[in-house]
Amino acid sequence: MSGRETRSVLPVCSGSLIDAAAGDAPGAETEPMADRAPEASSPETSCADKPYADKPHADGQGTGVLCARCQVPLYQLEGVVRRHGDRTVLDVPRLDIAAGGITGVVGPNGGGKSTLLRLLALLDAPCRGELRFAGEAVGALSSARTADLRRSVTLLLQEPYLLRRSVYENVAFGLSVRSVRSGRGVRETADAVRGALELVALDPEVFLRRRWFELSGGEAQRVALAARLAFSPRVLLMDEPTASLDEDSAARIADAARAVAARGTTVIVVSHDRDWLEPLAGRILKVRRGQVEG
Amino acid sequence: MDYLLDGLATALRLLAAGDAETFSAVWITLAASGMSIAACLAIGAPLGFLIGYHDFPGRRAVRIAVDTALCFPTVVIGLLVYLLLSRQGPLGDLGLLFTIPGMSVGLTLLGIPIVMAMTALAVEQADARLRLTLLTLGADGRQVLFATLWETRYHLMLAGVAAFGRIVSEVGISMMVGGNIKWHTRTITTAIALETGKGDYALGIALGLVLLAIALLLNLMLAGLRRRAGR
Repeated sequence: MSGRETRSVLPVCSGSLIDAAAGDAPGAETEPMADRAPEASSPETSCADKPYADKPHADGQGTGVLCARCQVPLYQLEGVVRRHGDRTVLDVPRLDIAAGGITGVVGPNGGGKSTLLRLLALLDAPCRGELRFAGEAVGALSSARTADLRRSVTLLLQEPYLLRRSVYENVAFGLSVRSVRSGRGVRETADAVRGALELVALDPEVFLRRRWFELSGGEAQRVALAARLAFSPRVLLMDEPTASLDEDSAARIADAARAVAARGTTVIVVSHDRDWLEPLAGRILKVRRGQVEG
Repeated sequence: MDYLLDGLATALRLLAAGDAETFSAVWITLAASGMSIAACLAIGAPLGFLIGYHDFPGRRAVRIAVDTALCFPTVVIGLLVYLLLSRQGPLGDLGLLFTIPGMSVGLTLLGIPIVMAMTALAVEQADARLRLTLLTLGADGRQVLFATLWETRYHLMLAGVAAFGRIVSEVGISMMVGGNIKWHTRTITTAIALETGKGDYALGIALGLVLLAIALLLNLMLAGLRRRAGR
């Protein structure tokens, strides 16, 4: 990927947390956080390290339940500002998002929804203010720690990219990059892949061996979602997951979101389709002109 | 016209009979080109990836330098390598002048810019969502690098085949660094040049046919790889 693409992936304003993974970004314009709190919790004691399944914090609604261990909301945004060049695209004086449940994000195009999602995905850092994830101030962390935290969060893009491989390899990718740490074997991986495909209502017997170009748009979207569900993320972020899907596929995405939320995953969904989103989400955030309500 | 047809008929007889001189040139060509392309891929692909993937000060200048090297005249490369490998040159002690490995050094210098430029382009043109997808699936920097190389594998093979096509049909470096020594460093292209000068068209045509067959094979591979890469 070129610098050109890198620039398109990384908005202008600030220290991208992606670049942080490869070292400090040159020329980053992140402003110092005047009121930055002292280091919240050391990595050893951080709630973020614990598997979500250990946490009795999911209420299925996402309406303000605290993490039982840390006693803090999963996400805390305070005075967060994100700019593209001179333009402020997101300005959030205060926002808490609880662990567990499904949170919907609605708003007009260009309102700041995707910017918010990228912050929550730990891909970008705020230009100003503080973003805390499970009690840890993200901007103050080492690049390695940020990369570690990012492994517990995943983002489904509006137009997902499938690797030029089989469905099995796509869904197993997230597991394989974690396999060194988890010590997961081939059989466990295969079982997880099958389980993830079943979650998105794709028959493993039919789809496992298919190549990426043999899938319809709806099937590709569901395979991309399965790839994210396979490694049981703590947070699943979805950007317009039903934008180009028929009703049946959209319903299956909703079913999958409910299923993983019931298991304790925090689900945050951006969507223009309020008819689809409202029955699904326990909380709706409205993002308009960079302001967040709800 | 008759001498052309006679030459063609004799050429086909030489190939069918497995003429030792003809096939010596073929094997020497493939040996030098094979060694060279292996070195080109080993050196050029990682360098091309670095140029295509990372934004660093002077990146534009490096790209321009690589693109300029694509147009480097082969006789100039041959001259440089000759001077380096000659007895008085800094690498003269290696005794590589007028040897197949010596020719490979020159051919590698010819092929590296091709592999670098095409690899950099492939990485630059990779889907912008690829890196984001890999990161959101939990890949670290090293895993992103290898997965990106794998995703652009057909483009990398394309670069290898294109460089091989250039190397195998090159004459200036082989002539100057190899010396066109019969049974030792005489390649297809240097043999064609020599035999044509002597008026022995049959051997020239026979070797030309082999070169055309190699070119056809390479083009078929290129077409197949382009089709797969474009998917």
